[in-house]
Amino acid sequence: MGDVVQIYEDYKNHADFLTVYVREAHPTDEWQMKSNVKDDVCYAQPKTLEQRAAIANDFTKRFKYPLPFGIDDMSNAANDAYAAWPERIYIIDESGRIAYRGGIGPFNYKPAEAREWLAARYGAVKHEAQPAAAAK
Amino acid sequence: MRRLSKWAAGSIGLLLVTAFVALSFLAGSPKDVYGMLRYALPHMHRGTLQVGSDAPDARLVGLDGTSHFHIRERTGARPLVLVFGSFT
Repeated sequence: MGDVVQIYEDYKNHADFLTVYVREAHPTDEWQMKSNVKDDVCYAQPKTLEQRAAIANDFTKRFKYPLPFGIDDMSNAANDAYAAWPERIYIIDESGRIAYRGGIGPFNYKPAEAREWLAARYGAVKHEAQPAAAAK
Repeated sequence: MRRLSKWAAGSIGLLLVTAFVALSFLAGSPKDVYGMLRYALPHMHRGTLQVGSDAPDARLVGLDGTSHFHIRERTGARPLVLVFGSFT
Protein backbone atom coordinates (compact mmCIF):
# COMPACT_ATOMS: atom_id res chain seq x y z
CA MET A 1 0.00 0.00 0.00
CA GLY A 2 2.84 2.37 0.79
CA ASP A 3 4.17 1.98 -2.74
CA VAL A 4 0.81 2.96 -4.25
CA VAL A 5 0.68 6.02 -2.03
CA GLN A 6 4.16 6.99 -3.18
CA ILE A 7 3.15 6.58 -6.84
CA TYR A 8 0.12 8.75 -6.14
CA GLU A 9 2.26 11.47 -4.58
CA ASP A 10 4.69 11.33 -7.50
CA TYR A 11 2.14 11.40 -10.32
CA LYS A 12 -1.05 12.97 -8.98
CA ASN A 13 -0.34 16.10 -11.03
CA HIS A 14 -0.44 14.02 -14.20
CA ALA A 15 -2.96 11.26 -13.60
CA ASP A 16 -6.11 10.63 -11.57
CA PHE A 17 -6.22 7.85 -9.03
CA LEU A 18 -9.06 5.87 -7.55
CA THR A 19 -8.91 3.14 -4.96
CA VAL A 20 -11.79 0.68 -5.05
CA TYR A 21 -12.48 -1.23 -1.87
CA VAL A 22 -13.67 -4.76 -2.70
CA ARG A 23 -14.66 -7.80 -0.62
CA GLU A 24 -12.21 -8.67 2.12
CA ALA A 25 -9.48 -11.15 1.30
CA HIS A 26 -8.79 -12.51 4.81
CA PRO A 27 -11.74 -11.85 7.09
CA THR A 28 -12.01 -13.57 10.47
CA ASP A 29 -14.92 -15.73 9.28
CA GLU A 30 -13.10 -16.95 6.18
CA TRP A 31 -9.41 -17.37 5.58
CA GLN A 32 -7.83 -15.30 8.32
CA MET A 33 -4.05 -15.27 8.42
CA LYS A 34 -1.63 -14.89 11.29
CA SER A 35 -0.45 -11.59 9.84
CA ASN A 36 -3.99 -10.19 10.24
CA VAL A 37 -3.83 -10.78 13.98
CA LYS A 38 -0.31 -9.37 14.20
CA ASP A 39 -1.34 -6.24 12.28
CA ASP A 40 -4.60 -5.98 14.23
CA VAL A 41 -6.69 -6.13 11.06
CA CYS A 42 -9.46 -8.46 12.14
CA TYR A 43 -12.83 -8.04 10.49
CA ALA A 44 -15.60 -10.41 9.53
CA GLN A 45 -16.62 -10.40 5.88
CA PRO A 46 -19.03 -7.45 5.57
CA LYS A 47 -22.61 -8.54 4.92
CA THR A 48 -24.03 -5.06 4.48
CA LEU A 49 -22.88 -1.92 2.74
CA GLU A 50 -22.74 -0.15 6.13
CA GLN A 51 -20.23 -2.73 7.39
CA ARG A 52 -18.20 -2.42 4.23
CA ALA A 53 -18.14 1.38 4.48
CA ALA A 54 -17.13 1.15 8.16
CA ILE A 55 -14.07 -0.98 7.34
CA ALA A 56 -13.16 1.31 4.44
CA ASN A 57 -13.26 4.26 6.83
CA ASP A 58 -11.13 2.42 9.40
CA PHE A 59 -8.60 1.80 6.65
CA THR A 60 -8.43 5.35 5.30
CA LYS A 61 -8.26 6.82 8.79
CA ARG A 62 -5.65 4.47 10.15
CA PHE A 63 -3.24 5.11 7.31
CA LYS A 64 -4.37 8.66 6.52
CA TYR A 65 -4.83 7.15 3.06
CA PRO A 66 -4.70 10.01 0.56
CA LEU A 67 -6.07 8.43 -2.65
CA PRO A 68 -9.62 9.13 -3.82
CA PHE A 69 -11.73 6.26 -2.59
CA GLY A 70 -14.76 4.31 -3.74
CA ILE A 71 -16.49 1.27 -2.29
CA ASP A 72 -17.74 -1.61 -4.41
CA ASP A 73 -21.39 -2.18 -3.51
CA MET A 74 -22.74 -5.49 -2.24
CA SER A 75 -23.38 -6.75 -5.77
CA ASN A 76 -19.58 -6.64 -6.25
CA ALA A 77 -20.17 -5.08 -9.66
CA ALA A 78 -16.78 -3.36 -9.93
CA ASN A 79 -14.96 -6.43 -8.67
CA ASP A 80 -16.73 -8.65 -11.20
CA ALA A 81 -16.21 -6.24 -14.10
CA TYR A 82 -12.48 -6.01 -13.42
CA ALA A 83 -11.81 -9.49 -11.98
CA ALA A 84 -10.10 -7.54 -9.24
CA TRP A 85 -10.13 -9.69 -6.10
CA PRO A 86 -8.04 -9.80 -3.99
CA GLU A 87 -6.01 -6.91 -5.35
CA ARG A 88 -5.23 -5.59 -8.79
CA ILE A 89 -4.20 -2.42 -10.60
CA TYR A 90 -5.45 -1.09 -13.93
CA ILE A 91 -4.72 2.12 -15.79
CA ILE A 92 -7.45 3.54 -18.03
CA ASP A 93 -6.27 6.00 -20.66
CA GLU A 94 -8.01 9.19 -21.77
CA SER A 95 -9.97 7.35 -24.45
CA GLY A 96 -11.52 5.09 -21.81
CA ARG A 97 -9.57 1.99 -22.75
CA ILE A 98 -7.44 -0.27 -20.60
CA ALA A 99 -3.84 0.92 -20.99
CA TYR A 100 -2.32 -1.25 -18.29
CA ARG A 101 -3.70 -4.45 -16.84
CA GLY A 102 -1.96 -5.57 -13.70
CA GLY A 103 -1.79 -9.14 -12.51
CA ILE A 104 -3.84 -10.64 -9.70
CA GLY A 105 -2.54 -10.23 -6.17
CA PRO A 106 -0.84 -11.08 -4.05
CA PHE A 107 1.82 -12.67 -6.24
CA ASN A 108 1.27 -10.72 -9.45
CA TYR A 109 0.25 -7.43 -7.86
CA LYS A 110 3.06 -5.15 -8.98
CA PRO A 111 2.67 -1.42 -8.37
CA ALA A 112 6.15 -0.99 -9.87
CA GLU A 113 4.67 -1.84 -13.28
CA ALA A 114 2.07 0.90 -12.96
CA ARG A 115 4.85 3.25 -11.94
CA GLU A 116 6.78 2.26 -15.08
CA TRP A 117 3.76 3.07 -17.24
CA LEU A 118 3.48 6.51 -15.67
CA ALA A 119 7.23 7.05 -15.83
CA ALA A 120 7.28 6.24 -19.55
CA ARG A 121 4.74 8.99 -20.10
CA TYR A 122 5.63 11.60 -17.54
CA GLY A 123 9.23 10.86 -16.64
CA ALA A 124 10.67 8.90 -13.77
CA VAL A 125 10.58 10.26 -10.24
CA LYS A 126 13.62 9.26 -8.26
CA HIS A 127 13.72 8.74 -4.52
CA GLU A 128 17.37 8.58 -3.75
CA ALA A 129 17.02 10.00 -0.29
CA GLN A 130 14.58 7.30 0.75
CA PRO A 131 15.61 4.05 2.36
CA ALA A 132 15.17 1.00 0.16
CA ALA A 133 12.30 -0.37 2.24
CA ALA A 134 10.17 2.73 1.73
CA ALA A 135 10.83 2.86 -1.98
CA LYS A 136 9.67 -0.69 -2.52
CA MET B 1 -6.54 -56.70 -12.96
CA ARG B 2 -7.60 -56.20 -9.36
CA ARG B 3 -4.00 -55.92 -8.32
CA LEU B 4 -3.44 -53.27 -10.98
CA SER B 5 -6.40 -51.14 -9.84
CA LYS B 6 -5.26 -51.41 -6.22
CA TRP B 7 -1.84 -50.31 -7.25
CA ALA B 8 -3.28 -47.39 -9.27
CA ALA B 9 -5.55 -46.27 -6.41
CA GLY B 10 -2.63 -46.50 -4.01
CA SER B 11 -0.36 -44.35 -6.12
CA ILE B 12 -3.04 -41.73 -6.79
CA GLY B 13 -3.72 -41.57 -3.06
CA LEU B 14 -0.05 -41.19 -2.33
CA LEU B 15 0.24 -38.48 -4.96
CA LEU B 16 -2.68 -36.55 -3.43
CA VAL B 17 -1.19 -36.79 0.05
CA THR B 18 2.19 -35.64 -1.25
CA ALA B 19 0.58 -32.75 -3.12
CA PHE B 20 -1.33 -31.70 0.01
CA VAL B 21 1.80 -31.82 2.17
CA ALA B 22 3.78 -29.89 -0.45
CA LEU B 23 1.02 -27.26 -0.75
CA SER B 24 0.80 -26.96 3.05
CA PHE B 25 4.49 -26.30 3.12
CA LEU B 26 4.33 -23.74 0.31
CA ALA B 27 1.23 -21.94 1.57
CA GLY B 28 2.31 -21.95 5.23
CA SER B 29 0.01 -24.51 6.87
CA PRO B 30 -2.77 -27.00 6.08
CA LYS B 31 -5.26 -24.30 7.14
CA ASP B 32 -3.92 -22.06 4.36
CA VAL B 33 -4.41 -24.80 1.78
CA TYR B 34 -8.01 -25.10 2.92
CA GLY B 35 -8.39 -21.31 2.76
CA MET B 36 -6.91 -21.21 -0.70
CA LEU B 37 -9.21 -23.93 -2.02
CA ARG B 38 -12.32 -22.74 -0.19
CA TYR B 39 -12.02 -18.95 -0.55
CA ALA B 40 -9.30 -17.90 -2.96
CA LEU B 41 -9.86 -20.13 -5.97
CA PRO B 42 -13.59 -19.37 -6.37
CA HIS B 43 -12.93 -15.62 -6.29
CA MET B 44 -9.74 -15.30 -8.26
CA HIS B 45 -10.29 -14.81 -11.97
CA ARG B 46 -8.06 -13.56 -14.71
CA GLY B 47 -11.00 -11.81 -16.33
CA THR B 48 -11.52 -11.06 -19.97
CA LEU B 49 -10.18 -7.49 -20.04
CA GLN B 50 -7.16 -6.88 -22.22
CA VAL B 51 -5.04 -3.86 -22.90
CA GLY B 52 -7.10 -1.90 -25.44
CA SER B 53 -10.49 -3.15 -24.13
CA ASP B 54 -13.08 -0.55 -23.25
CA ALA B 55 -12.85 -0.04 -19.51
CA PRO B 56 -16.08 -1.27 -17.90
CA ASP B 57 -18.06 1.12 -15.78
CA ALA B 58 -19.39 0.41 -12.32
CA ARG B 59 -21.23 2.44 -9.74
CA LEU B 60 -19.28 2.92 -6.53
CA VAL B 61 -20.26 4.16 -3.10
CA GLY B 62 -18.46 7.03 -1.40
CA LEU B 63 -16.80 6.76 2.00
CA ASP B 64 -19.89 8.34 3.56
CA GLY B 65 -21.68 5.07 2.68
CA THR B 66 -24.55 6.78 0.84
CA SER B 67 -23.29 8.89 -2.07
CA HIS B 68 -22.64 7.29 -5.44
CA PHE B 69 -20.40 7.92 -8.40
CA HIS B 70 -19.34 6.05 -11.51
CA ILE B 71 -15.84 5.01 -12.51
CA ARG B 72 -16.61 6.57 -15.91
CA GLU B 73 -17.02 9.99 -14.31
CA ARG B 74 -13.37 9.87 -13.37
CA THR B 75 -12.00 9.00 -16.81
CA GLY B 76 -11.42 11.05 -19.93
CA ALA B 77 -9.38 14.05 -18.89
CA ARG B 78 -6.30 12.20 -17.67
CA PRO B 79 -5.25 8.59 -17.24
CA LEU B 80 -6.98 6.93 -14.29
CA VAL B 81 -5.02 4.59 -12.06
CA LEU B 82 -7.49 2.11 -10.54
CA VAL B 83 -6.27 0.33 -7.43
CA PHE B 84 -8.47 -2.51 -6.18
CA GLY B 85 -7.95 -4.00 -2.76
CA SER B 86 -9.24 -4.64 0.75
CA PHE B 87 -8.00 -4.07 4.30
CA THR B 88 -7.11 -7.63 5.26
